[in-house]
Amino acid sequence: MPQIQLTGIQKRFTVYERPEGKWPLLRGAFIRHARQVQALDSVSFSVEEGEMVGYIGPNGAGKSTTVKIMSGILTPDAGKCVIMGRVPWRQRVDHVSRIGVVFGQRSQLWWDVPVNDSFDLLRDIYDIRPASYAVRRDELCAALDLGGLLKTPARQLSLGQRMRCELAAALLHSPRILFLDEPTIGLDSVSKLALRAFLKEENQKSGVTVLLTTHDMDDIQALCRRVMVIGRGRLLYDGGLAVMLECYAAREGQDIDEIIAEMYRDMELGEE
Amino acid sequence: MRRSLKFRPLLKACFSLFRIETAESLQYRAAAIAGASIGIFWGLIEITVYTVFFLFADRNEAALSLPQVVSYCWLHQCLFGFFSMNIDSEILAKINNGDVGVELCRPLDLYFHWFSKTAGKRIGRFWWRGIITAAVALLMPAGYRLGAPDSSWVPGFCLFLISIGAAFLLCTSFGMLITAIRMGITWGEGPANMLFLLSLVLSGAYLPLQLWPDAWQGFLFFQPFAGNFDLPIRMYVGSLSPGGGAAAIGIQLTWTAVFIASGRVIMKRKLRNIIVQGG
Repeated sequence: MPQIQLTGIQKRFTVYERPEGKWPLLRGAFIRHARQVQALDSVSFSVEEGEMVGYIGPNGAGKSTTVKIMSGILTPDAGKCVIMGRVPWRQRVDHVSRIGVVFGQRSQLWWDVPVNDSFDLLRDIYDIRPASYAVRRDELCAALDLGGLLKTPARQLSLGQRMRCELAAALLHSPRILFLDEPTIGLDSVSKLALRAFLKEENQKSGVTVLLTTHDMDDIQALCRRVMVIGRGRLLYDGGLAVMLECYAAREGQDIDEIIAEMYRDMELGEE
Repeated sequence: MRRSLKFRPLLKACFSLFRIETAESLQYRAAAIAGASIGIFWGLIEITVYTVFFLFADRNEAALSLPQVVSYCWLHQCLFGFFSMNIDSEILAKINNGDVGVELCRPLDLYFHWFSKTAGKRIGRFWWRGIITAAVALLMPAGYRLGAPDSSWVPGFCLFLISIGAAFLLCTSFGMLITAIRMGITWGEGPANMLFLLSLVLSGAYLPLQLWPDAWQGFLFFQPFAGNFDLPIRMYVGSLSPGGGAAAIGIQLTWTAVFIASGRVIMKRKLRNIIVQGG
């Protein structure tokens, strides 16, 4: 049984639209148009333990929705999702105690308190034994070079520093699966490289499964051999990264971003 | 069996959250001084107005004497930190911008997670504001001074202290009920504010409940919001019979349980259909 198994996951959102123009605007106060948006349309895939999988697609394709469903935040309308023998949204508390999640655009550190206090709080929340907590924290601090940052409140950290702390915070309880939703967004090259090196090492050392959502193709290239492409709520490709690049590379020496753009065009995936 | 195993870690985590929020809100000393100044200012105005009423009233048969009302005003200002007219701003921001998602990635019951946070913030706010206001109130000239607790019945003061604890839980659980109702709603704060205002009026913040019409006293005693300030203060100023003290605490705890239960049920239902905003 694979570690993560999704079968036929469906999710729709209702969007309320207001008609444009002067009079329709007024009418919009009384009548509203509901439109159904199919965020995920029968998405199925499975991931084995210890894999590093890239999950890509244009904006609005349904990547974050998938991650949210897999982390137990959203309940899908239909379909099956079993992760480590559990259904995320039904056994949420049990489930999330064994996964780590990093949202690049949201912070999980406590804004006003020193990073170390945030870590101590996470120790209590995840009920980590003090001895293994100390070992794990020191290990992560060494690997991510956090020594000097622990006493700083999260709000005073730079983005790169904060992201390193976020990653450590997500890994303190030694999760078996790590979901990363655009972890390198807005980071400079040095931070990006440091983050990638760390993820690679962590994956090799502890065998943590990593599912990486990103628009940065260099991240994918550096970390993932397998890649899944989603567009308009459907899974369009699932397989080796090298095969995909070969398939869409029009000419020699083409940039990876160009190849991906070419692929999105080919799959008719531009933004609506 | 499984529940009891999970109970201790939950308690520990909640206490940890409570502690960090308390420590954080204790840092804001300027805000505490500002809060205390407002409290003292209001207290003085209220006392002046009541003094005028009591001096010039034709018939003086109110259930409370003037010194009792003066103590009432001060104690109400001291305890006001428990109460909040708003949903906790941090939690409200999380509801609005979709950071609820991050909170749901924690292996904790969301209700108790937020309850501990809110409680921690309120106790931190109450601490400085309450102490400064009480100190100033005790140093006021006669006529404006916070009176000593009713000495005719000593256990009454112990019941008063217990009742303050219960009032704290009651205020927090009501705030959490409103928070749960507010979840998943995108149309603003109006209804929440109305509910908060109603609870404030019925808790005796504008007029001590014992000065309301006699015919209403039964209802006012048993309705949930008397426990916010009015019932504990009655124990302090001695306007509640000794037997009434235990009953009052029973009422406070019963309503706390009702608010917690309904808040949890509503939050659970909202979470099932929640839409986490933002990419």
